Order: sequence, then structure tokens, then C-alpha cells
Amino acid sequence: MIEIKNLNKTYKRDGKIALKNIELEIKEGEFTALLGQNGAGKTTLINILSGNVKKTSGKVFIGGFDLDTNELDTKKIIGIVPQEAGFDTFFPLYEVLKKQSGYFGIKDNEEHIDYLLDTLSLTEKKNSMLRELSGGMKRRVLIAKALVHKPKILILDEPTAGVDIEMRHSIYDFLNELHDSGMTIILTTHYIEEAERLCDRILVINKGEIIADEPKEQLMEKFSKELQVTIYFEKEIKLEDCSFLMDYRPEVHHKNELHLTIKKDEINTAIQMIAQKNMHFADITIEREKLEDIYLSLISNR
Amino acid sequence: MNIFYNRIGFFTLFFREIHRFTKVSVQTVLAPLISNLLYLGIFAGILSTRSAGIDGINYLQFLVPGLATMGALMAAFQNPSSSIIQQKFMNTLQDLNSYPISDAEKTSAFILGGTVRGILIGTLTYLATIPFVHTGIQSPVFFFVSLGITSFIFSSIGFISGLALEGFEQMNFIFALIITPLTYLGGVFFEASKLSGILGMVRFINPIYPLVNLTRYAYLGVYEENIVVHGILAGVFVIVTFGIALYAFKKGIGIKIN
Ligand SMILES: Nc1ncnc2c1ncn2[C@@H]1O[C@H](COP(=O)(O)OP(=O)(O)O)[C@@H](O)[C@H]1O
Ligand SMILES: [Mg+2]
Repeated sequence: MIEIKNLNKTYKRDGKIALKNIELEIKEGEFTALLGQNGAGKTTLINILSGNVKKTSGKVFIGGFDLDTNELDTKKIIGIVPQEAGFDTFFPLYEVLKKQSGYFGIKDNEEHIDYLLDTLSLTEKKNSMLRELSGGMKRRVLIAKALVHKPKILILDEPTAGVDIEMRHSIYDFLNELHDSGMTIILTTHYIEEAERLCDRILVINKGEIIADEPKEQLMEKFSKELQVTIYFEKEIKLEDCSFLMDYRPEVHHKNELHLTIKKDEINTAIQMIAQKNMHFADITIEREKLEDIYLSLISNR
Repeated sequence: MNIFYNRIGFFTLFFREIHRFTKVSVQTVLAPLISNLLYLGIFAGILSTRSAGIDGINYLQFLVPGLATMGALMAAFQNPSSSIIQQKFMNTLQDLNSYPISDAEKTSAFILGGTVRGILIGTLTYLATIPFVHTGIQSPVFFFVSLGITSFIFSSIGFISGLALEGFEQMNFIFALIITPLTYLGGVFFEASKLSGILGMVRFINPIYPLVNLTRYAYLGVYEENIVVHGILAGVFVIVTFGIALYAFKKGIGIKIN
């Protein structure tokens, strides 16, 4: 759906290099998270796709159309929820969405607009001026605007920044629904646990370069070589009693919790060792590393 | 790249430009109309009996096409320039980048929107003067065409200004320092050819001068200087201003980041 070859961006204003040799291919139906610190280049990349920023060099294809020669054709394929968007203060919401349909060459779009208003819980506000809407509602208006022309690709640049948890979840449920219906989605977000939950591919961009690009499971697998094991004992335990587990960096918390860090392939051995010592435990939890930790270690290694 | 790519998109944009000024028609239509009538009233009081220097034409008859042209060009300039600057403030201007509408369609939607407003103000100015100045138009079609050409040119200039300027202060500056003086020196209120020295010479580089003359010719059937030359000049201005507008838009001035 999207193919990017050797893309570079240097801002003319201050000579800032924002993107370096980006190579990327996004397949139909993928739900990709684009992660990176502030200033990493995420918005620049998205703005190049939307036509707001001119690229310095490289090739971009959207839905098979070359951005250099068929820019207008690419616009019908993507819907973009921009990070910093303004609001038309002249027309009420319904009018804004009707005009938006018109800009995309669609004449009678009432049914689809009603559907979007309904699923995004905006129906009540359809005659309100945009300036009267709350921050969370404005975010949803942006999503509705990006979807009026039924794009094949939806790109969201921090759509949940400043949106409360409940609203965030309803936005994510909606994105899941769109993904299930086959839409290709790219999401940048600061809430990494949500990228972990939603996306099936993780892209990490750092100082204008892609430093990780893998299916989520593979990335987690690769980086989560160690498991966090917590064993809950019925009785109080002492660290001295656990000296035989020294290799697994034991720590005692709350008197009866034993925390161990165990390599994946040693987990059986470790548990057998505990059982042999006749230490009775009530419960055990095994957690792999979180995407957030992997992400942090990825960018701090740079 | 296709020139005609998205007809519905073009019309949506065009009607938005019209819808925008009709929503605030007290400021955009009524105000200039009243101001033009005030001019007429003031000059009627002072100068009505004076001849305009052209045989058989009194001053008010001379003034009406001047006011119509002035009203048209100012309204035409304001429509796209204020629309674009407003959108810069609302941070919605870059939305244009994501629409599948060709650059030529986007540019002409803005410029034709302003042209409609210019023609409307010009025509209403004329209609409003009918009770006071009992003169019929010599050639209504030509009058209309002349207002259209005038509006198109100044709408193009307004479009370019909107893209290039940062805010309303800069726009008012352009207006006060360039458009208004050129209007006065362009023969709206008096014959520009009667001005002596530098001020008189300005008319040769003043795009307003031939436009006022063309409209006046359509209205009165008399003209100050060579009407054919002025017709050709007007045509050249149409092509040049629209050309620059399209070029500036294609370059992404004020709308795309380099
Ligand atoms: N319009 C601009 N002019 C100059 N530099 C810019 C502009 N926009 C962004 N940058 C710079 O480019 C880099 C990438 O920014 P951006 O793409 O906004 O990052 P992100 O969205 O990942 O936070 C930053 O260093 C930023 O300062
Ligand atoms: Mg950003």
C-alpha cells in the first residue's frame, strides 16, 4: 500500500535533517505503530505523505501511485488525522463533513457521514460549530474528516494526545473495528502500551532513521530474552534461603514475594530447583518484558 | 498533471468561497455599498453641477462607473486574501494539500469566488446609484464583462497576497499603501490624464487605470484614452496575474513546507 524508497528530508529553513534514507513498505491490512521520541521525524514522514511537506529526495508510492507524478491519485487513497489541526470556525460540523466529501469528489455522502457521526458519538453535535466542541470531540471530528472518502489507508498522528482514558479506549475500539474490516492503519502514539495492544507491526524511528521495524511478536520475542517471574509464598521468606537461585537475581518484596529474572530456556530448571527445596508457593506469575521497556532500551542505545 | 481532475471538488471549494462572504454579508456586501453611496452623496453635494471635462457628461455620471470599478476590485481583492489568511489563522489552510483537486482547480476556485464577489459589489453599486443618477448603461454586457475582468485580476492579486502575507496587518498595509492610492490615481474620482507630473505618469503603470476606463466606456460610451490599448492591457493583466497566482500555488508558497 505504501512504498518508500531512500527518502530524505532536510528542512530548508534551518537545514535540519529530519529524515535519513527511510526505506519502508507497508502492506495492505497492516496495523503499524510508528514510535519515536519528540522530534524523531514521525510528523515529517506523515506530512510528506499528505503533501504538506516537500521531500528532499527519494521515492514515495501510495497505493501504487507515484507521489511525484500522480499526487492527486494518492490523495483519494489516504485519510490523515493530523497532529496539529485547525478547525473551520465558519461552518457547523455536518456542513464541514459535507464539504469535506465534496472536496474528495463525493456528492451524496449523507449515509456515510451519518454512520461516522454515529460510531464516533458525534450525532448530537452535528449542528454545533466546531469551536463549541470539547478537545476529545474535536479529535473525533478529525477522525471523521479523515474517513469521509472511505480511504484504504488511515494515518493517525498522535490522535489520542490529551484525550481522556475512556475516550482513548473508544477511539481504539473504533480503530480495531476498521482494522478488522481490512483497513491499513498507521498510528503514532506516546502510549506505548496501547501500540502494543493494537498494532501488529512496530516501527521505531529515532533521529530521522528507522531503528526497528518488525512484526510486534517478533520484536518482543527478540528482545524479551528474559522473563520476570514472581513467586508468591504462603509464608515469609528470606533472601538467604534463596542463595541457590543466585543466578536469577533474586529479590524479596512484601516479605513473601520472590522476584526472579530468568532466561527463557532456563525457566523449567529454575522451577524444579525451587520445588526440590520443598518451598511451597501459592502462586506464580511470569511476565515477559513490555514493549515500553524494549522501546526505551532501543532508543537509549543510540 | 491533469488540469480538470475533480469537478465536484472544484465547485465545493468555489461555493465555499461564496458561502463564506454571503454569511457575513452585512460586512462584505452592505458596508461597501453604503460607503460607495456616501462617496456619491458627498461628491453630489459638492460637485454635481461641475462637468467632468468630457462633453455632455456631468460629474456624477462620470463617478458611477469609477465607484463600481473600485467597489468590484476591492471586494475581489479581499475575498481570497482574507479567506486564505483566515485559514492560516485557523490552521486549516494546509487541509487543501490533502484534497484530490488539481492546482489549477484550487487556484481558480478561490479566484472565481472573489470574482463573483467583485461583480456583485460592482453591479449593486451601479444599481444603487440609479435613483440618483439618471443614466442608463450604454452597453450592459460590456459593463458586466469589464467588471468581471477587473474582479478577476484583483481576485488573482488578492490570492497571491493571501499566500504570501502572514497576517491581516500586512494585508491592510498593502491595501493602504498600494491599492488605495492606485485607485485614486487610476481615474475613479477624476480624470487621471488631467493629473500633471509624476502623479499623472503613474497611470501608465497603474493596472486600475485601464480597468476604470473600460468600465466607464461601457457605461457612458466615452473614454479618456485609447480603448483598444486598454482592452489589450486588461487582457495582459488577466493572464499575468492568474499566471503568477497559479505559479505561486504550485510552488506551495505559504501552504507547503520546504
Ligand atoms: N517546519 C519545520 N521547519 C524546520 N524544522 C522542522 C520543521 N518541522 C519539524 N522540524 C524539525 O524536524 C525534526 C522532526 O520533527 P517532527 O517530524 O515534528 O518529529 P516528531 O513528529 O517525531 O515529534 C525536529 O527536529 C523538528 O524540530
Ligand atoms: Mg509529531
